[in-house]
Amino acid sequence: MEEFKYILIFGLLHSLTYLVFSLGFSLIFGVARLPNLSYGALYVFAGYATYIFLTQLGLDFSLAVIASTLLTATTSFAVGEFTIKPAMKFPVSVFITTMAVAYIFEEFFRIQMGLRPVTLPLYSGTTTVMGVPVSNHWLLVGLVSLLMVLALLLFLFKTSIGRAVRAVAESWEESMRLGINPLKVLRVTFLLSGVYAALTGILLTPLKALTPGSGWTPLFTAFAVVVMGGIGNVLGTVIASLIYGFTEQLVTYMLGGGIARVVPLVLIVLVLVFRPHGLFGRGE
Amino acid sequence: MGKLLICDNVTKRFGGLVAVNRVSVEVSRGELLGLIGPNGSGKTTLVNLISGVLAPDEGRVLFEGRDITKLKPHERVALGISRIFQGMRVYPYLPVYYNVELSARSVFKDAKLARSKTIWALTTTKLLAETLELPANLTPYKIKMVELARALVTNPKLVLLDEPFAGLSPEEVSEVIEIVRKLNGNGLTFIIVEHKLRYLMKIVGRVVVLNEGRKIFDGAPSEAVNNEEVSRVYFGVV
Amino acid sequence: MSKLVFAKPSKIKKVRKLLPSLAVVAIYLALPIMGLSGFWIDVLTRVNIFLLITLSLDLYSGTTLYLNLGVPFTVGASAYAIALLNRYLGIPVEYAILPSAAISAVLSFAIFIPSLRVRGAYFSILSLLLPIILAGLVTSQPFSLYLGGEGGISYPPLFFSYARTLPARERLFFLSASYFYISAAVAIVAYVICYKVAYSDFGFMMRSIGQDELLAEASGIDTFRVKLVGFTASSFLSAVAGALYAAMRPPVTADVFIPANTLVPSLTAVILGGMGTVVGPAIANHLTLITYEVLWGVLGRWRIILYMCLLIVLVLLRPQGFVFYLYLRLKRAVSTKISRLFEGA
Ligand SMILES: Nc1ncnc2c1ncn2[C@@H]1O[C@H](COP(=O)(O)OP(=O)(O)O)[C@@H](O)[C@H]1O
Ligand SMILES: [Mg+2]
Repeated sequence: MEEFKYILIFGLLHSLTYLVFSLGFSLIFGVARLPNLSYGALYVFAGYATYIFLTQLGLDFSLAVIASTLLTATTSFAVGEFTIKPAMKFPVSVFITTMAVAYIFEEFFRIQMGLRPVTLPLYSGTTTVMGVPVSNHWLLVGLVSLLMVLALLLFLFKTSIGRAVRAVAESWEESMRLGINPLKVLRVTFLLSGVYAALTGILLTPLKALTPGSGWTPLFTAFAVVVMGGIGNVLGTVIASLIYGFTEQLVTYMLGGGIARVVPLVLIVLVLVFRPHGLFGRGE
Repeated sequence: MGKLLICDNVTKRFGGLVAVNRVSVEVSRGELLGLIGPNGSGKTTLVNLISGVLAPDEGRVLFEGRDITKLKPHERVALGISRIFQGMRVYPYLPVYYNVELSARSVFKDAKLARSKTIWALTTTKLLAETLELPANLTPYKIKMVELARALVTNPKLVLLDEPFAGLSPEEVSEVIEIVRKLNGNGLTFIIVEHKLRYLMKIVGRVVVLNEGRKIFDGAPSEAVNNEEVSRVYFGVV
Repeated sequence: MSKLVFAKPSKIKKVRKLLPSLAVVAIYLALPIMGLSGFWIDVLTRVNIFLLITLSLDLYSGTTLYLNLGVPFTVGASAYAIALLNRYLGIPVEYAILPSAAISAVLSFAIFIPSLRVRGAYFSILSLLLPIILAGLVTSQPFSLYLGGEGGISYPPLFFSYARTLPARERLFFLSASYFYISAAVAIVAYVICYKVAYSDFGFMMRSIGQDELLAEASGIDTFRVKLVGFTASSFLSAVAGALYAAMRPPVTADVFIPANTLVPSLTAVILGGMGTVVGPAIANHLTLITYEVLWGVLGRWRIILYMCLLIVLVLLRPQGFVFYLYLRLKRAVSTKISRLFEGA
């Protein structure tokens, strides 16, 4: 019973973080129809940026968070402008360029910061939820994630720019007929996904130590979630994150953390075998 | 002898949109059938269903009496259904020769047979002088010929042409028509998709008219012109 | 149609054209006996083995344009197969090379089948994911117990039992030189096979998939089968590379799964040399890797960043020259084919 509650609470909290991170990833994936493989590197980038702002520049925590979020968004924008947009005509190129960007960041941090894990300030203390002690930081992460999801939904469904994003994700040609400039929309998604990668990076770094290569696991999680939910399908992404989060917690609890690493792989392969267009995607 | 092709109540939906709605069409051997309808009426979708690029949500497709609904496009090519796509569709970085030969090679296991088939198809479409060119250096008419050659090289029994006259000059259109007529005279069956009736009137023996995914007419071209519903759909377009 | 275009190049002319390249290869093969230092012989051995990876990448990804970022998985799987066959079954590496390569190729084939069925981005992302997950697995509980963890698995390298009988002075040279010649022989054979395949009808079918997969499928090509065969053949090449490398350079560690070690140099070579041309990537393989080795002393880890930047710039520029070269090569292939046909008639 205790374990059940534990899995329920942490499964939910993990699912929320996966959801936020995946939504940022699926913004670009939905609009450009191509994955940004450097998305995980942006998560790491934000973590290190905050760390440097705090320890080396001695900035105030909230100031450091804002500064590194802005910096990450700008970087994401630059990555999009210079390595995604010019390469989009030829899909293979986008894989190569964004993968290269990811490794440039990884190597850069490996050279500059070393392999020793780095961490950020933790919101301390624990609160008992349904009889299970949960660290306050996790609760904060859950709350902020929830707010970010809601903010994105409001943006996508209630603002004109958000509607343009959805229109372009639906059909590039159709949206151009409606007078939308897909390239402008793409820029918006570069910026926004940078913000989402940054905030997740800053929130999760205190819980999961940060090393130069820690961006890959979140990237694959996001990819697994988006593939499962169907590219560009928001509701699908929500459900897929829940499936993913709970599966992972369950596997970790029953078989250990080592095996849990294989979860994204197994889920992606299963989806590809049985539902190539996602659990909720309509077939081509 | 039975029909060459039977579409039996085929339906294809895209989300909420019913692109092809319970359409039944029968095609006899040696026919030259026109498939017309306004933009977005489902012509290309029907071609995709026959060639296997799309699978129908309901209904069956029969070819020479055999149910081919579940077969993949390349399997249908091997059975004798060839198609050309709407617009210009060729491999941009392969010379004309390979654009044609690869299809032959995948249907005929004998390399020598495939090669001589290719030469035959290139001769029929008057492309022998361009065998080594890349598509980028060809006129739209020549590109259409490459596509036609590729459709012919696999020894088809039925050829589906999706808007083959688009972008061609009137002289070029009559060249295409002449080739089609000649092949049809030798017994090859064609389904020609066109947006406008005008070109087809003179050459096809029968037309099927689609509107919003439904078949609204099936009969002689001369009757189509006098049909009330067809005229309404085509008001000012015929 | 002009007769000139269809003229078949004579045999003698062909051989004469090949002479310069044969001379270069001969000089290359003579390097170890001409007193090249042991260090550089080892570097060239590595470069020879990398040629297999480069060819493997070019053969499949260069033609179908399905980017296989999972090469480190295939390389690593066969390397670990060598180590595990030795550790648990006591099979000496000499006999384990081919079985390990086969195991790894079959494993890659099995994992990638579902993603070969669907068009689009899935294949590349799955391929990127695999090696990184495996690298994590190898070093984490409970797998690290069986797979050697961080330290990897060690075993006696190729020919070691024989080398031990030699006097100490000759031992190192014997190992270096024999590794060099084995890797060179395998590389040359692989090159010739890849060249033949890439410019065969099958090779062109792979290219047609890269240029318009739907068109290929709709005009009669069994694209799934072509991808499957092409992918498996290409995986086998990578797998041989992994097995050879592991056999020569124990211990095997999780480092083989790191793309910066086993993918980046080859990917750069393929892009630099011109995708799908085989000749270009093969030449670029030797140039980039030897430079990569030289740069280690100068730049250290920064060389990876440099190569990544180079990769981005190359991909974005995609020099037309290489495409043009491919086109010339195609023209020749077609004209010989047609002339042969007329000859037979
Ligand atoms: N792959 C697709 N996904 C979604 N809708 C499609 C797709 N293909 C066609 N449609 C829609 O189906 C309808 C019929 O299209 P189509 O068969 O191309 O018409 P036609 O060829 O007669 O102009 C159109 O409304 C079109 O927008
Ligand atoms: Mg159409």
